[in-house]
Amino acid sequence: MSNYVFDLERSSRGLRLNRFLHGLIAAERRKLFLERPEEAMQGLSEAEKDMVRRLDWKAMQDYGASFFCLEKLARTKGVSNPEMVAHFRGETLEAFLKTRRVPGAR
Amino acid sequence: MAKIIGGIGTSHVPTIAMAFDKGKQQDPDWKPLFAGYEPVAKWLAEKKPDVLFFCFNDHATTFFFDQYPTFALGVSAEYAIADEGTGVRKIPRLKGHAALARHVARSLVDDEFDLTIFQDLPIDHGLHSPLTMMWPTSPDWPGKVIPLFVNVLQHPLPKPKRCYALGKAIRKAVESYPEDLKVAMVGTGGLSHQMIGERAGFNDEKWDREFLELIEKDPERLAGMTVADFARLGGNEGAEVVMWLIMRGALDARVKKVHSNYYLPMTTAMAVALFE
Repeated sequence: MSNYVFDLERSSRGLRLNRFLHGLIAAERRKLFLERPEEAMQGLSEAEKDMVRRLDWKAMQDYGASFFCLEKLARTKGVSNPEMVAHFRGETLEAFLKTRRVPGAR
Repeated sequence: MAKIIGGIGTSHVPTIAMAFDKGKQQDPDWKPLFAGYEPVAKWLAEKKPDVLFFCFNDHATTFFFDQYPTFALGVSAEYAIADEGTGVRKIPRLKGHAALARHVARSLVDDEFDLTIFQDLPIDHGLHSPLTMMWPTSPDWPGKVIPLFVNVLQHPLPKPKRCYALGKAIRKAVESYPEDLKVAMVGTGGLSHQMIGERAGFNDEKWDREFLELIEKDPERLAGMTVADFARLGGNEGAEVVMWLIMRGALDARVKKVHSNYYLPMTTAMAVALFE
């Protein structure tokens, strides 16, 4: 089984980052983040800000971000779930799509 | 008395809602999915249930980890559609059957299922991505819903056995409601998929097909498995199929699967099954 079980330890470690990501369900938070990202990320630690700036999905996941909170950031930045999944697998989107039955269904 | 007339098991993948909203019914990449829901939509149009009782999960949209219930029942007369990061879907607000939901809440707590109760919260795609495949959206929804939230995100998750037992208690609750109402159960989630870790992109069609058999013929066996079993066989996120067990627990011990469809285009196996 995968090590990536979102348990209470992971949830506790990722709480501040997840709270930021979750906040992007509000249109005004998305607007602020897209226009003035540093201001929107004020409450985060330097390490957390760095991961968000780089859209480093795997680093955020390993740190404690919930996939479902990462989805809010991905939607805000126009990134699809297959792109995130490819990143977790350590491959390009093109390489990942070659492993799928209907690459156009996204 | 209120009566449960059947059950539906369905995936709740967000791209199902995306395909619907973008009108991809005739797109060859999506047609097999839409075709698979047609018999379910027809069954609902013919049987006309007053209420769809939805066992679903929120995706860190309305419920966040600073306060996370295990089971939570919605008892409002109306629910907004949630913004999940791309704006609100252009579909009508959900109508809730508040009186039946409140009765179910009392009955379940009396049966020692100590639920969280929620009111007036926006609902995410976990419920309405499958709903728009099954019920028309205009001029308005043809019936009401009762949303039952289940924690399938933050471990520890409720045991499959507990989910199955909850289904049985829901049946008892519904059947003790004095008004003549027709209720259909809906269990959402799955089938196999994993979105995280090195095994992201994992599927297992063989296990999915076995699950579709067992949920009809031997739900007790599924209820005896662990969440870790479901995660190993169907992927971490695929373990959410425990919500199908709530639906199944509310049906007769013997049911007939009158329709099922399976489509695995991208990361998640999209299935729908109808039980009478």
